[in-house]
Amino acid sequence: MGNRRKIRFTLSELMIYNAALEIQDGDKVVMGQGIPIVACSLAKTFHAPNAVLMTEAGLVDVAPFRSPLHIADPTCTRGYSYSCDLMDIFTTILNRGFVDLCFLGVGQIDKFGNMNSTAIGDYRHPKMRMMGAGGAPDFALYAKRVVLTMRGGKFVNKLDYFTTPGWLAGGDSRKRAGLPETGPEVLISTKAVFHFPAPERELTLVSLHPGVNAEDVRKDVPWKLKIADNLNTTPVPPQEAIDFVRVFDPTLTAGRKLSLSLTIQAAAKKQAAKQKPAEAGKAEL
Amino acid sequence: MGDVKVSKVMTAADAIGKFVPDGCSISIANFLHSTPFALIHELIRQKKKDLLVWSQSGIEELDLLIGAGCTKKIITAYNFRAGGEWANGEFDRALNEGRLEVEDLSNFAVLAMLWAGAMGYNFIPVLKGIRETDIFKISTILGGEKFKVVKDPFSGEDTVVVKGANPDVALIHVQRCDREGNAQYWGSIGNSKWASLACKKIIVSTEQIVDHDVVRFSPHLTLIPGFRVDAVVEEPWGAHPAEALGAYNTDYGFRAMFFMHNITAVSMQSFLKEWVYDCAGRAEYLAHYVERFGQAPLSRLRARTHPSYPADLGSANFSVWDERGYSEALGMTRSEFDQVLEKQGEVMEWEIEEK
Repeated sequence: MGNRRKIRFTLSELMIYNAALEIQDGDKVVMGQGIPIVACSLAKTFHAPNAVLMTEAGLVDVAPFRSPLHIADPTCTRGYSYSCDLMDIFTTILNRGFVDLCFLGVGQIDKFGNMNSTAIGDYRHPKMRMMGAGGAPDFALYAKRVVLTMRGGKFVNKLDYFTTPGWLAGGDSRKRAGLPETGPEVLISTKAVFHFPAPERELTLVSLHPGVNAEDVRKDVPWKLKIADNLNTTPVPPQEAIDFVRVFDPTLTAGRKLSLSLTIQAAAKKQAAKQKPAEAGKAEL
Repeated sequence: MGDVKVSKVMTAADAIGKFVPDGCSISIANFLHSTPFALIHELIRQKKKDLLVWSQSGIEELDLLIGAGCTKKIITAYNFRAGGEWANGEFDRALNEGRLEVEDLSNFAVLAMLWAGAMGYNFIPVLKGIRETDIFKISTILGGEKFKVVKDPFSGEDTVVVKGANPDVALIHVQRCDREGNAQYWGSIGNSKWASLACKKIIVSTEQIVDHDVVRFSPHLTLIPGFRVDAVVEEPWGAHPAEALGAYNTDYGFRAMFFMHNITAVSMQSFLKEWVYDCAGRAEYLAHYVERFGQAPLSRLRARTHPSYPADLGSANFSVWDERGYSEALGMTRSEFDQVLEKQGEVMEWEIEEK
């Protein structure tokens, strides 16, 4: 058999690659900011060239060349196929059933994939106000598939605020509520990948990221976590995916802490360069 | 032809002073992209009070308006935040101190209210799954007028509806606009059309005022027709530190600086003093920027040109009568036509008094 080869990658690259694997060629995908936009762009560059990528700002069939600051930033593209608006996205596209896949980030999440992205603590006097609903509830309800990515989020028994429906109370509760029987299928966290398999639709651990054991994951979950019978190791990104991500979004690759320190160092370098010619001038005088 | 009928051009100070009274409702009609910061800073400078703010999604603008005491009531779907609990900002502080009420909606629901208002409808259906959420169940500012469930008269199914809203004044920043107010906007359309047209008055700030002919040669880019607009304010860099496609990119460094200031009430006030109160307008703000950071950071943000492919507005002819004054359809010249009318047409005669 072939030689074994070491691949070196960051946590962001692992998460992005696994998010990208959820995209099939031809999917019409609503992207969120951060990991989803990079994952979608990675998929479109390699295995899903016909994916139609869009954001709720009305940018449709975009091929960003870098990550935007937010989902309405058109300066990250060199053009796109269809310029519509937010109402078009939610009505003529989402409500008519043309969104195959949407990505959402996670603040708080419960056993059945219901989420809170509004407030931590008491709603009216919160400990921390989060970003709010944005498009999440409507996309989560009416997209054909939902994939979740979770960086700083938390697993909780009860949400502080119910922003975005997952599988409600699990089982067939979506059907009983008269809603489409679609919902979150995959959750990619910093430690593992989870699914929400039918019929219970309960969060189930299916793969561990390299170097993580089940106990590391279990201790973040305040209920008895379901674990799949055949627990796998999360697929690691191939070199071409790693290279893509480093070109596309080096800041996300590096992670928040390292990026911040690099930014500060770069600013200091700039400042030093500015002072140098002045000092040189003084010396001449 | 092509002459300006009415000029609505004025300064930001005049526009805000004239059209935004204390206690009115405003609609911020840009969705993350091209945020109308020049106009928002002017609200703050004029110390507007008790504004009810409709915001699709904010980055800094809501924290600024709260911190300056301009608003205690915000209807919104999203407000960007920069970090965890350590980075709690003015929005968090105001909620905790009871200085602020927020009505949470989804992006679709908040714009659906303005969409209905813009179209002149009392209510409009939204995606009904929202009723499973606390967005449906908890209401603050809108009280009982947030969501209702009605029977669809055709299918008999439960339908969730929202009420149409018509805020008093829209604030929007666009790339170009003529003196009459025909506002052209491109890039990220987001909420802009509905969040503007829903309002009773519309204030447009623009990177550039252009001749009416520019608009007539690209009508597909006009988002708001001039007859709906009340004031046109020319403000180059009027969306800074946000981006405006074709003009400039977002200023990450400046935004990071804002979020650092947002962490405490004191530093927030010092940001407001330095960048809003102590600058008489956008020109002074930019001059202060250059004084603090030099011209280079701004120059680096300038968009390189990447023009849109022009649409051909051509037609086979621009008159019934061709270059020779001949009509193919009638088979005659203009003067022959006059003669025919005299002979065979029902030409009337009437005497008028010449003065």
